[in-house]
Amino acid sequence: MSSISRTPDPLAGNRREFLLRAGGGLGIVALASLLDEQGLLADQTAVVDAEQRKTADPLAAKSPHFAPRAKRVIYLFLHGGPSHVDLWDPKPDLIKYAGQPLPESFGAVMTRRKVAQNPLLPPVRPFRPRGQSGLEISDFLPELSGCADDLCVLRSCHGDSVNHPQSVYQLNTGSILMGRPSLGSWISYGLGSENRDMPAFLVLPDPGGGLKGGPPAWGSGYLPSVYQGTTMRTGASPILNLRPPAGITAGDQRAMLDWLRRQNARHHAARDFDDELAARVASYELAFRMQTAAPDMVDVSAETEETKRLYGIGDKETDEFGTRCLLARRLVERGVRFVQLYSGDTNGWDAHKNVEQNHGQLCRRIDKPVAGLLADLKRRGLWDDTLVVCGGEFGRMPMSEQGKGRDHNPWGYSVWLAGGGVRGGMAYGATDPVGLRAAEQPVHVHDLHATLLHLLGLDHTRLTFFHNGRDERLTDVAGNVVHDILA
Amino acid sequence: MMMAGISFIAALIRVMACRTVGWAWPTAASWWAMPTLQASTRPASSVSIPTTPLSSPPTLLHIFAPHFFAIPLLVFHLVLVSSARADEPPAIEEAPLTAADRDHWAFQPLARPAPPAVKNASWVRTPIDSFILAGLEHENLAPQPPADRATLLRRATIDLTGLPPDPADINAFLADRSPDAWERVIDRLLASPAYGERWAQHWLDLARFAESDGFEFDKVRPDAWRYRDWVIEALNADLPYDEFVQLQIAGDELLPGDRQAAAATGFLLAGPDMPDINSQDERRHNLLNEMTAAVGSVFLGLQIGCAQCHDHKYDPISQFDFYRLRAVFETAEYFQPQPLGRVMHESASPVSTSRLMVRGDFRRPGPKVSPGFPRIANPWNDSVAPPAEEDSSGRRAALARFLTRADHPLATRVIVNRLWQHHFGRGLVTTPSDLGVMGSWPAQPPLLDWLATELPRQGWSLKRMHRLLVTSTVYQQSSRPDFLSVSSRSGTRESSDNKFLFPGERLGEGASAQPGEGPSAQPDPPNNHESPSASLSRRNWTTASAADPDNQHWWRMNRRRLDGETIRDLMLAASDNLSPRRGGPGVMPPLPDEVAATLLKGQWKISLDEEDHRRRSIYLMARRNLRYPLFEAFDRPDALLSCPQRDRSTTAPQALILLNSDFALQQARRLAGYLYARAGNDQDAQITLCYLRVLSRSPTAKELADAREFLTAGAQRLQAENRSPDELALPEPRSADADFCQSAALVQFCLAMFNANEFVYVD
Repeated sequence: MSSISRTPDPLAGNRREFLLRAGGGLGIVALASLLDEQGLLADQTAVVDAEQRKTADPLAAKSPHFAPRAKRVIYLFLHGGPSHVDLWDPKPDLIKYAGQPLPESFGAVMTRRKVAQNPLLPPVRPFRPRGQSGLEISDFLPELSGCADDLCVLRSCHGDSVNHPQSVYQLNTGSILMGRPSLGSWISYGLGSENRDMPAFLVLPDPGGGLKGGPPAWGSGYLPSVYQGTTMRTGASPILNLRPPAGITAGDQRAMLDWLRRQNARHHAARDFDDELAARVASYELAFRMQTAAPDMVDVSAETEETKRLYGIGDKETDEFGTRCLLARRLVERGVRFVQLYSGDTNGWDAHKNVEQNHGQLCRRIDKPVAGLLADLKRRGLWDDTLVVCGGEFGRMPMSEQGKGRDHNPWGYSVWLAGGGVRGGMAYGATDPVGLRAAEQPVHVHDLHATLLHLLGLDHTRLTFFHNGRDERLTDVAGNVVHDILA
Repeated sequence: MMMAGISFIAALIRVMACRTVGWAWPTAASWWAMPTLQASTRPASSVSIPTTPLSSPPTLLHIFAPHFFAIPLLVFHLVLVSSARADEPPAIEEAPLTAADRDHWAFQPLARPAPPAVKNASWVRTPIDSFILAGLEHENLAPQPPADRATLLRRATIDLTGLPPDPADINAFLADRSPDAWERVIDRLLASPAYGERWAQHWLDLARFAESDGFEFDKVRPDAWRYRDWVIEALNADLPYDEFVQLQIAGDELLPGDRQAAAATGFLLAGPDMPDINSQDERRHNLLNEMTAAVGSVFLGLQIGCAQCHDHKYDPISQFDFYRLRAVFETAEYFQPQPLGRVMHESASPVSTSRLMVRGDFRRPGPKVSPGFPRIANPWNDSVAPPAEEDSSGRRAALARFLTRADHPLATRVIVNRLWQHHFGRGLVTTPSDLGVMGSWPAQPPLLDWLATELPRQGWSLKRMHRLLVTSTVYQQSSRPDFLSVSSRSGTRESSDNKFLFPGERLGEGASAQPGEGPSAQPDPPNNHESPSASLSRRNWTTASAADPDNQHWWRMNRRRLDGETIRDLMLAASDNLSPRRGGPGVMPPLPDEVAATLLKGQWKISLDEEDHRRRSIYLMARRNLRYPLFEAFDRPDALLSCPQRDRSTTAPQALILLNSDFALQQARRLAGYLYARAGNDQDAQITLCYLRVLSRSPTAKELADAREFLTAGAQRLQAENRSPDELALPEPRSADADFCQSAALVQFCLAMFNANEFVYVD
């Protein structure tokens, strides 16, 4: 695992470590053959060692630290902070003490807005036991309730900030500060990609845009930029600049690339077959392949009507998220390592004013698509090695805000997991009687991250990157794997 | 309460764990996750626990004044509010420095080594050459011959100005055989305002400069550009480096009332900020720590930020050292007087007590500290003047003087190493902001010291240092093997090559460019007939590349990839579209919708004046939450931390952006329009001019033939496809009398040229 735990000083300039930097879905594996094709390998001065290239390719699939439970991840990020006490974490005491202030025994509560003295707000829709497991889920999510036996709800998650951007960063990078590598970047760094025509880490933002915290949420921080999330959309141009601009056809482009290859070959030959130049030649070939591969990936027209219906495609409310869920399945199916979907525009699930209205609308949008995704993963044999994660940057307060809404609550909330390696039909840990703070078996964000890496066969204490004099980790100096939820 | 206890213990374990490894960002906000401490059973432990209320509300001092105050706004005091903590701060010991601590190379006093004697004295032009050549001779490595003139001119012009040489400059330099031709080129480049625009970007990377706050709202800092412009102007005016540093640390103190000097302190507050954070104590704490860490890494080359939570794990920097340095800034107010933006200003209020923050947690003030400098960087025991406790002013001025001592072993080494790094592609120390124990050792310690002592001797003039570096023989070496290019040609071609000939030089050839042929740096493929000189060249290259593949000894020049900003500027310049406008607020050229959509609404307002879209990259709006896509693809840093050296990745998205972006096509169309305007319908002239403008050289015969083939075949294909003008990308402006299929083929050729490896690399 030395290639994972320690990358050579990126500032030095040797060939091998250049190759560690090169990439971006760039197939250096393909490089040797490319050079061969050009007859450039014949020269003694060209240092071409295909085996070395293979190991040096930053996105080559790498072996995990130990046998993984899951090989890939679909992370459904409910932006804005969905209310755990209204969706996943039933609190009878909240009904019992509805309208009363939080008992003094709970002590001072740090809140974003001044809601600490506000009356407790009962769950806005009833919870019911579901499936054989009897896992309780709210009436907000009728379709997902049908998947109860597949879900593992971590009810005792907690983080460190009442603010959106800090918590978005923390859930994504482990730190409440901007600029650290995201979970998807760490996983791409640790495991590489199984699809050589696409980046390892794809992000499907909400078309409403405006994530609080912005693109740093999927940034690679101090990890090489090849590991950062690439945003992808549905439609004809799923990746930025994927299609030639107006007035340039694929045929025009092929002619340009042919000339470019000749020009670059002359340039390259006069420069001792510099690996970096060769890598750049290869990056153009990959770009050309991506232009075909990416539209094919997002083209859901080949899917059956039945599949589309499963995801709620065609229904006004579920069409958009359903299409992205189906896209997520197509991506993991084709070897993309980490796919993150955002639900919710700038405001998203941030139900300060009215939980019923806000969550009612957003739950309708995601309920059927997510249930459809889980069902589809199962029937396609992807279930056992695909990990599905669903949660926001925090939960919401048991107290009311503006009567029917709730304020941010990072001190206790729920995230659920499903699929590869996870026990279904269970709730793990608990918040206190009103859902304010994680109380039993608390799962800090670091613990959640440690657990996700563990499911992928990565030891969070060994997945490190040397930066500014320190071996950095996703989990900093903390993190405990939650073993009780492993299947 | 049972549950509360468990959760508390878990949190406690988390905090304790923080002691075990390295430094950590202040994650101690997990205290909040604990149930009330008052209510829980307090376990016996050596770890101290705050018993003060955890959620003290922000004081009035920390509330923003309303925007409409026309007078300078006191945004908030950088003063401690919670000095009245009742409990004892935890006892934290500071270990004294040992001789072993001081033993590291970078902490040693500067030497002034004499340039060593070398065998091949004729190679030596500057003392730098003596140091490098002595090393090469010791290693039995032969330096590479100088690069040809066209290559040299492109190298130096891009290096010093970030722009390509103008074809007129190329011809002038090729024709100029006077002894000081090269020196005059360098002087011309250093005198160009483009020099400051180029080198300011290197500095802004270090200054983690952006024009917005970051975090959720990424609020624009409408006057942040004043700091950017100050840097550009300071560099162009050749403000001595010591003053350059002093003003950024304490411009307001050193030159009271001077607005430019105040703008310079924008350095300290250039980092990310979250004004709407719940706790303004936390905000102030984060700002101070970030500022302290930035000063340490930028000016001292020490990663002192590691010591904010506990003593540095490797370097002899204690947590006290960190908070002593931080105390230098704690008397400052952070001021937002219109129209200077975020600048520093000394507080008139009484001096607060500065404290060490236990484990970097803003809620856990520890022992008192007095302002001071990191001990390991301060062998003279310089103190922060003035000694009188009640007088708050002068702390930063003292720091400014400390950081610009001519005998400062770290501060001088760190800057000359940065100069070397940007000229040669890699520093003598390859970790330019970490000269500490975990950093790399200098490749040439005597040379580094010679340079570090030379800077003050040159009156701290950066321009003189640039000149020294760029006029060295080391700088003029070729980056590529001679035998694969020049010598592989037929004998008759060899003499027409544009080797850079120095006056009275051993080559002794009065070679000059063939009239009308221009420079031609590109070889045709090697053949089997190798001349004796080519044979020697091959031997030298092969030996050196086997013995020193990473070029640790500087036996050749390093090839460098352009950064995204330079790629954009070069494209605009090639198409003759670069706006000469300088300075002012950041401009916003159009962005793809899908990129703009990742921001909050209205955060990218396209500049109304189209010319602003064509300004130099350094004037583009630097939003912290959104890097301009072309820059981001080519590794622009995120401005969240000081960036001493950019990453250099090679990715498919880079290819996509240069092949398919509207910007790239736009420049290709404009370049084609320019070619028509200047070369008419003469295909060979178009091709030659295209090479000159994009690659700063003329094409070889083979390249010319290949380009003709591309254009002819392209035009035929477009004709055969029966595409209407609407379905083609045509030159801008359109040439009235040109065939549109040929015009479109020329646009495609220009676009392809922008994608060539040679375009994005500098030999």
